[in-house]
Amino acid sequence: MIELFDVRKVFNTGKPSEYSALNGISLNISSNKVTVLTGPSGSGKTTLLSIIGCMSRPTAGRVKLSGREITSLPERFLTDIRRKTFGFIFQQHNLIKGITALENVMLPAYPLGERHGPLKERAMHLLDRLDLSRKAHSRIEWLSGGEAQRVGIVRALINDPSVIIADEPTSNLDTKLSYRFLEIVETFKKDGKTVLITSHDPLVYQASVVDEVVRLRDGRLEGEAP
Amino acid sequence: MKSWIEKQKYIIDFTLSSLLRRKVKNIGLLILYALIVFILASVMFFTHAIKKEASLVLRESPEMIVQKVVAGRHDLMPLRYRDEILKIRGVQAVEGRLWGYYFDPVFGANYTLLVPPATTATEQAETEPMRTVVTENEHRHGPEEQAMPLVGAETIGAGNIVIGNGIARVRNAGKGEFILFRTHAGEGMPLRIKDTLSSASELVSSDLILMTEPDFRRFFGIPENYVTDLAVSVRNPEELSTIAAKITRLFPDSRPIIRDEILRTYDSIFNWRGGMMIVILSAAVLAFVIFAWDKASGLSAGERREIGILKAIGWETSDIIRMKFWEGAVISLTAFLAGVILAYIHVFFTHSLVFEPALKGWSTLYPQFKLMPFVSAEQLTTLFFLTVVPYTVSTIVPAWRAATIDPDAAMRHTGE
Amino acid sequence: MTRKSSVFLSAIAAQSAILGLLLLHAAISTRTHPPELTEKRALVKALHLTDLCLFTEARYTRHLSQADLSTPFQDHPISLEHFPSGSFLGAPENIRKINEELD
Ligand SMILES: Nc1ncnc2c1ncn2[C@@H]1O[C@H](COP(=O)(O)OP(=O)(O)OP(=O)(O)O)[C@@H](O)[C@H]1O
Ligand SMILES: [Mg+2]
Repeated sequence: MIELFDVRKVFNTGKPSEYSALNGISLNISSNKVTVLTGPSGSGKTTLLSIIGCMSRPTAGRVKLSGREITSLPERFLTDIRRKTFGFIFQQHNLIKGITALENVMLPAYPLGERHGPLKERAMHLLDRLDLSRKAHSRIEWLSGGEAQRVGIVRALINDPSVIIADEPTSNLDTKLSYRFLEIVETFKKDGKTVLITSHDPLVYQASVVDEVVRLRDGRLEGEAP
Repeated sequence: MKSWIEKQKYIIDFTLSSLLRRKVKNIGLLILYALIVFILASVMFFTHAIKKEASLVLRESPEMIVQKVVAGRHDLMPLRYRDEILKIRGVQAVEGRLWGYYFDPVFGANYTLLVPPATTATEQAETEPMRTVVTENEHRHGPEEQAMPLVGAETIGAGNIVIGNGIARVRNAGKGEFILFRTHAGEGMPLRIKDTLSSASELVSSDLILMTEPDFRRFFGIPENYVTDLAVSVRNPEELSTIAAKITRLFPDSRPIIRDEILRTYDSIFNWRGGMMIVILSAAVLAFVIFAWDKASGLSAGERREIGILKAIGWETSDIIRMKFWEGAVISLTAFLAGVILAYIHVFFTHSLVFEPALKGWSTLYPQFKLMPFVSAEQLTTLFFLTVVPYTVSTIVPAWRAATIDPDAAMRHTGE
Repeated sequence: MTRKSSVFLSAIAAQSAILGLLLLHAAISTRTHPPELTEKRALVKALHLTDLCLFTEARYTRHLSQADLSTPFQDHPISLEHFPSGSFLGAPENIRKINEELD
């Protein structure tokens, strides 16, 4: 479903701080599978994830989504693909403070301009699925860490994306909550979604729900010659 | 289209939620903003309406007034000037005006004493249809009485006066009562109030006292062959300035004031350059600069982070700008409309209550006039562009750069 | 719960409607000259009046257009004034152009 051909990413090109974070990555991520990207800190996991998720562009190489080349699309189209195809779960859950959980969940759907009634209903339904319906009208800062993360997950689901991308989803969670997260990932898989997770938590990449583990090191797939 | 509207509504939803997070600050801002618009709009409504009214009312003023100037002050006008001026070709009529000031030490008020011209107001008024409206202020006129008092000299009658409604109010005096004046020679001179001028005409008549010519002359000790100044009318209005020039040549110590100058005087009244106006205006401008600076001094780290999050979850640059547009527009539009509405009510329904102390100044006798609501669309538009637009723009501009950050920046934020 | 945007848009609509009504009020009440105006005009005409009775505190504010050429406030168009009203009034134009020849 997602194909990468020799993807490279160089930061700060031409400056003394020039840094090559990805050095030629070719990879196939199949649909309806749970793939985990793992590797030491600084190995380029987040960078790769943001390229796959159409948040940034590779310096070289190509990315294909369902057979369609997306590397060279203008920003508007990328944004459009991003919000329809991908749902993001962030490491710091990146919720907007001062507004309610429900509003946070609905935010990604705002630019699409669908009718308010159905959207709200869908948001409430999804919150309910993750036992958050009682917290819908609470402000973000009142939520516990686990609740906040689940709100972040619900937000990722609001536009019914086919790919869920999660960057270090369990780094702020204890073991019990991490298991809870993996249970949720199971349900994603059941719903036919593709899941892409970065993690260096063995609990995650050794979990039974994971179909494939990709190891990165120094911006390369592990085992490939530099 | 429908989804476009829905999208704007969603963005407004979010904007309002985020504005409400700093409720006190933003509501305070809104109130301050509305107050500034209110003051500016009040000044605008008031000055425009008064100028407009002055231009309509004073169009009926004498075509030319000729004063005599002695040592830099105007002085009594000898009637021989009148006879000479009358001989100038093109001059239709020259009438002596008799008027002066009287300071009432009891009430500390200044009155304008005036002798009505020979032809009476009613005579002149007959030429155009007119009706006098008696308003509630004017409790002294019974409904059965004739509303427009007869202001002609003959009808006033010796020993009588007709007073402006302002004087009646200040002195709480009504028809039939006597007012004791002190003449130039220091003698007491009681005059009977025969009638009062309507409150509707206060803008021109509030402090007037009309009396007969003999009474006036006795009052001030003005000899028979002198008047205060001359009202000149000409056959052809085109020739006014030529005739004015002829008069100055004939009498170098005279000073003609033509009607156009009177009208222009009132056109430049309450000028933006005038003292208080400039203070009000600069206060307002200063407040705006503070707003704008506060806005333009950039976004806080928190705001940047939020923009990053919004981009990461699928908002486009244009959505962010739109959100910032609404952030400015919500406050400035609400404040503008509220300020203008309140200003209209203030000026045209409450007689400019707020300005009253300043307008009154030291006057004891302050006319209570109801301005006609002349509103200039042009001025309203200007005010809109001076208030709503800069504020909204200054909200958008600093967000512009933040809005173009890469969405993946949100993935890299550590902690708060 | 009503949406915030609906509340806001109705508030703006209500404000605009009020402003619209006020402007309509302005248009209607100035379209024809009301009797008050006619009365003032008649009085100005009948009594040969030259000025509005706005400020009665000094003769040069009471009879603005008739003021002496050398009253203090005419020394300079923006000179500070004894009376508050003086700060509302610029010097009359004919006095600002005091040196201009009449012919
Ligand atoms: N915008 C940037 N400018 C410069 N260098 C960057 C930028 N983003 C990432 N890098 C560098 O690229 C490298 C890869 O970063 P990345 O965030 O992908 O690592 P990671 O594998 O996700 O690490 P971690 O497990 O700690 O999250 C790091 O050395 C980082 O310093
Ligand atoms: Mg990372």
